[in-house]
Amino acid sequence: MNKGLVLVVDDEAPIRDILSFYLKRAGYQVMLAENGRRALEEMAKSSPDLIISDLRMPEMPGDEFCQTIKGDPATRDIYFVLVSAMDGSASRIGGLNLGADDMIAKPFHAQEVMAKVASAFRIIGMQKEIKRQNLTLTRFQERMTAELSLAAKLQSGLLPEAPGEVACLRYHHRYLPAEGIGGDIYSVLPLANGGAAIMIADVSGHGVTAALISAMVKTSFGNQIHLSDSPRAWAEGMNRDLARSTLEEQFATAFLACVDPGNHRIRYVVAGHEPAFRIPAASPGKPEALGGRGFMLGLDESLPFEELSAPFEPGDRLILYTDGLVEVEREDRKYLGNDGLMGYCAELPRDGEEAVAQILEQARAFHSPNPFVDDVTLVLLDRVGC
Amino acid sequence: MLNIQTRQEGTASVVTIQGKVNFEVTAQLRDVIRDTVTTQLPKLLVINLEGVSFIDSSGLGLLVAARNSVDKNAGKLHLCGLPPQVKKTFDQTNLTNYFSIFATEQDALRGA
Repeated sequence: MNKGLVLVVDDEAPIRDILSFYLKRAGYQVMLAENGRRALEEMAKSSPDLIISDLRMPEMPGDEFCQTIKGDPATRDIYFVLVSAMDGSASRIGGLNLGADDMIAKPFHAQEVMAKVASAFRIIGMQKEIKRQNLTLTRFQERMTAELSLAAKLQSGLLPEAPGEVACLRYHHRYLPAEGIGGDIYSVLPLANGGAAIMIADVSGHGVTAALISAMVKTSFGNQIHLSDSPRAWAEGMNRDLARSTLEEQFATAFLACVDPGNHRIRYVVAGHEPAFRIPAASPGKPEALGGRGFMLGLDESLPFEELSAPFEPGDRLILYTDGLVEVEREDRKYLGNDGLMGYCAELPRDGEEAVAQILEQARAFHSPNPFVDDVTLVLLDRVGC
Repeated sequence: MLNIQTRQEGTASVVTIQGKVNFEVTAQLRDVIRDTVTTQLPKLLVINLEGVSFIDSSGLGLLVAARNSVDKNAGKLHLCGLPPQVKKTFDQTNLTNYFSIFATEQDALRGA
């Protein structure tokens, strides 16, 4: 039976022998050394679980030895019992201040030492268990962190590469998931007729679940636009897909729109989402909200959706976003809100990339010092032709 | 943050919510509503939102789920006391047409 390895350090051979005898009888393995320096040499060969060391020794006394052990990260977890001839509270406190885990006063009874050793090994056992569990948790956490960062990379791959161009639209975006991974998604896809299909969605909740659903939303959108050219039909189809495949409290708000070539209007559905803003090329200081009342997607299969339309001329600009951009509560309980954002949209630079950067900067400054708490997505689309 | 109170009014259960309803507190609110629905089996569940300053999408999801679970027990869910900010959220998501909404708790309790 091996109950653990004990290193006994004492310059008096009889004491080493007595302790060694009792320890071995109790089932411990024993290493012996006559002073601190010799003990360190022994420890180079094998590492003990417990050290019982005398205080007064030539060469390297117990206090110096103890400090050496407790000062080295490789050995500081070894349980250290200091044996001292001075039985006063002063020396006892002194010993514990050196980092010793326990003290034994000389002269001692062998039974007393054995009781301390038994109690020390109970603590050592617990420490080992805690270390083991801690290691398991650390490894688990490392794995989860790695997987999350991989998932985040994959998710940002679901977004269109921006800046980019589809049909007659040039787009820019900013995407800031709250937890590295999030429930916002947008997509701009070409239609067979030369037009473009636009979708932005915000899945309820956060993290991995929301991210998975956002991927479903994108897939469903991609399927729907091949089945018809009506945003209302897309919304109904996506609503059915989501209602069937998500859990009770999960749904998505969305803004779906269709731009047809040669037609200077935009057809759209607002499914519980924030309004989009149209910035007319003719009067860029007067953005218009493309809002509407519509159910969120995934609530109930049978809910109807309403299709609206608005002018969308070549040169016009469209701003889409998720509520995380405008719903940060400030210290004075104010929110930026849609109206605040619309104000920013009235004064944008012509360059799309500069414009999205400016909006984000202004929203940040408004909320400051509070950070964004939800996923934030901002998309800017310029109608460049057709 | 969130204050939730429940009481019985005859065969109706009334849940009163005060504070900000967002994803941090939905678990707590979900438990209260589930307990009320499963233990009281109310013919009518009234949720009073008078003291709610803000509701996010997870809060809306919770109310939709509450309606579904009351429906399953052949009961009804009435909402009441929506402050302007909350009303705006309901309007935008068309939930004004999904729920039975009343101005006051008295109306909600009387409403058929």
